[in-house]
This record gives sequence, C-alpha cells and structure tokens, in this order.
Amino acid sequence: MKLQNGSNDMVVIKNLSKAFGDNVVLKDISISIKEGDVVVIIGASGSGKTTLIRCINGLEEVTSGDIYVRGVEVAHSKSDLIEMRKEIGMVFQHFNLFAHLTVLDNIMIGPTKVLKIKKEEAHKKALALLDQVGLSDKSGAYPDELSGGQQQRVAIARALAMGPRVMLFDEPTSALDPEMVGEVLSVMKQLAKEKITMIVVTHEMGFAKEVGDMVIFMDDGLIVEQGKPKEIFSHPKEERTKAFFNKIL
Amino acid sequence: MNILSIINAAMPQLLYGAKLTVLYSIATIFFATIVGLIFALCKLSITASLRKIGESYVHLFRGLPLLVEIFYVYFALPMVLPLHRWFDPYFTPVAGILALTLNEGAYITEIIRAGVLSVPKGQTEAALSISMSKYQTMRYIILPQAFKRMIPPLMNQFIQTIKDTSLLSVISINELTRQGQIIISTTFESLQIWTAVAIIYLIVILSLTSISSYFERKYEITKR
Repeated sequence: MKLQNGSNDMVVIKNLSKAFGDNVVLKDISISIKEGDVVVIIGASGSGKTTLIRCINGLEEVTSGDIYVRGVEVAHSKSDLIEMRKEIGMVFQHFNLFAHLTVLDNIMIGPTKVLKIKKEEAHKKALALLDQVGLSDKSGAYPDELSGGQQQRVAIARALAMGPRVMLFDEPTSALDPEMVGEVLSVMKQLAKEKITMIVVTHEMGFAKEVGDMVIFMDDGLIVEQGKPKEIFSHPKEERTKAFFNKIL
Repeated sequence: MNILSIINAAMPQLLYGAKLTVLYSIATIFFATIVGLIFALCKLSITASLRKIGESYVHLFRGLPLLVEIFYVYFALPMVLPLHRWFDPYFTPVAGILALTLNEGAYITEIIRAGVLSVPKGQTEAALSISMSKYQTMRYIILPQAFKRMIPPLMNQFIQTIKDTSLLSVISINELTRQGQIIISTTFESLQIWTAVAIIYLIVILSLTSISSYFERKYEITKR
C-alpha cells in the first residue's frame, strides 16, 4: 500500500496505459477527480472509455501507471483490490444482475456475505434502496421478470448497498429501449444531487450537459479534451472533438 | 419349465445382483462427483500447474476403455502397489469402485467445467465489483447457477454409470450381469434370464430417470 502525497482528491489516475497484447487501448491517461464530482466520459466506440473505468476497480489489470482511490494506490496491489472495491460501486451496460437471486437478494448478498452486516439490517437497507430507485413492489421478482430499465435500477441499488464512495457507470443506458432511458437517468441525477462521486461513460449528451461537473472526451486511447460541459459542448477546442460532435449532434 | 417359473426361481439371485448394481452405482456416483468437482476446479484454476493436472487426469481416464481401466486397477496395479494387501479382504470391491470412479470422474469433470463456463462472464464481474472474493463468487454466484444447467448431462452420466457397473462382472463382482451369467452357466436358459436381467436394468434406470425429471421440473418452475 503506497500513499500518495498531497492530494485529497477522490480518484487520481497518473500516466495510465493499458494494452491487450499489441493493441494499446489507453495511452498515458491522467485524471484527477474531486469528491462529489460527476465526471462524464464521452467518445466514439473503441476509444477506450470502458476500459478506463474498468481499470479503476481492477476488472482490467493496468499495463503501467498508477491509480489512487482516496489516496491509496490500488492498481498494482492485488491484496487491496477487495478492500478497495468496497469503496467503488459499478453499474454495467448489461446490468449483470445475479440471475438466480430475487431483486432483494441481489441487493442483500453483498452486505450480508461481504460486509457481514446482519440480515435484518441489510434487509431494511435494501428496502430503502429499492424505494429510492422506485421499485418497492418488485422486491420478490427475479431479474428476468423485469424490464431493462428496472433491472438497471436494481443494479444501481445493488451497488449502492455496499456504501460506495465512488460510483462507476459503464454505458448504463446503452442496452435499454429508448423509453426506459429516462427512468435510469433520473435515478442517476438524484445520486448526483446527493453528491456521490460519479464517473459515467455514456452517449447521453443531455445527461452530460445537465449534471456533469467535468466532461472528458476520449479518442483512440487518449484524452483529447477535458473541461466544464458548457465549454466543451459550446466551444470545443480540438478538431477531433468538433468532428465527434458533428457526427452525433 | 415355463418362462415365468424359470425367472421366478432365478429371481432371488438376480435381485441380489440388482442390489449390488445399485450400491456400486451409488458409491461410484458419490465419489466420481467429488473427484469431478475437484478436477473441474483444477481445470478452471488460473494456476497453470493445476490446470495441467486436471487436463492430464481427463485425458488419461477418458482416453482408455473402461474395461482396460478395470483390468489395470485389479490386475496390474497390485504388481507395483500392494493394494490387495492394504484393502484385504475388500480389495475386489475397492478396485471396482476405484476404476469406475476414476473413469466416470473424468466425464463429470468436463460436465462441471462446462456448467461453470456456461455462466456468463458478467456474473463474475458483478460479483467481483461488489467486493466478493473468488471463493465467494464461485460459492454464491457461479456454482448455484451452473448446477442447474448441469442436471441433465449429470443425469445422463449417472445412467451411463449404472450401465458401466455391468463391466465389474469381469473381476467377479456379483452384480446383476454376473448373476445372469452364473445362472445361465447351470441352467442354459439364455433367453429367459437375459430378458429378466434387461428388464431389471430398465427398471433401475427408469427410476433414476424419473428422479431426474422431478429435479428438472422442480428447477423449471423457477427457471433459474
């Protein structure tokens, strides 16, 4: 465990590179994220956005560089990975709810088996979280009985049940039917208001503009441009950013 | 003598044989499932040497005829390992169960491994993301889902195991097939006795099949 000097930022990434074999997908990435910030990462498919946030909770091993979460170096220390993941919640593009467990058990299994919280307490908290994401009536349902939007809201509740300091969202609305995007985004906006640190990979530019404190535009494994959403969206400086906006807006 | 009275006279001996067939099957299924789980976890391990061990085990015991394995354990192995003295006077049943277990275990290894691999990778990632250890992920997330998918191929293998016990007749274990041979050697009533033997095998195997469909239905209800 290596302590980082000086900074009290929530997540600090320094000179991060990641390669799959000869294929370099992240090139010398450095970011600092303050507590309570909502950081939105945008960019074309294959630009490395997803790999970047998967590196933050160790689902991908980094090739070189450092990642600090609340000042603790995590990228290279396998033993700290489990401890560190307690601080970092993750929401996946394809929800990944545990298919053999009910909604309630999906939310409770982490707190009871990992955090060793008493069943009654975990149950109470799970019900409160279900209420927060608007699914109190679905506690006994199995994931395949829910719509995509409902599944994703359960997945958010499952991550929140661990009491994370940082939430990672990997294209949380990309696999949803258009009419279900709104219900997931509104839960995320609520979280942003509660000042949970969030790192969101998304194609929802409206969400980025509305709740993002910082927008990062990535292309070809590099951070091309970063800044306040207003500046990036209205006055992109880089040619590649302009070209990207021209294509999608 | 008509057919019924022939079978009737042979019945106590045949039922004794059927009892041994069932006992050897249960013992083999029990040990082979444990052996299969151990070697499946070896094959799924990230440690290369463990994977190698699992692979070698499957290659060896799936790659030989069961009959040769039975002969090897019973006749050849005692030449280098005095198993017959260690397990005296139970060497014959031990050798029979050992040979069957090693063989069926190799197939069960592959069934369990395939079951685990059939659970989508996202389930593992989600478990890791809520801070589960690898052991917890396997225990609470992967194996419960894999198990349900393994029921049909496992039942298939268990049925195969029951039939394979008939090969134990070659090392003088008095299971159903051997009982049939013994009776015929004195009565020469091949048609009647083999018909009776065949029917008893079918009854044993069909009862296992109905247990299996009960489990499949039970898990069908929840579909997960």
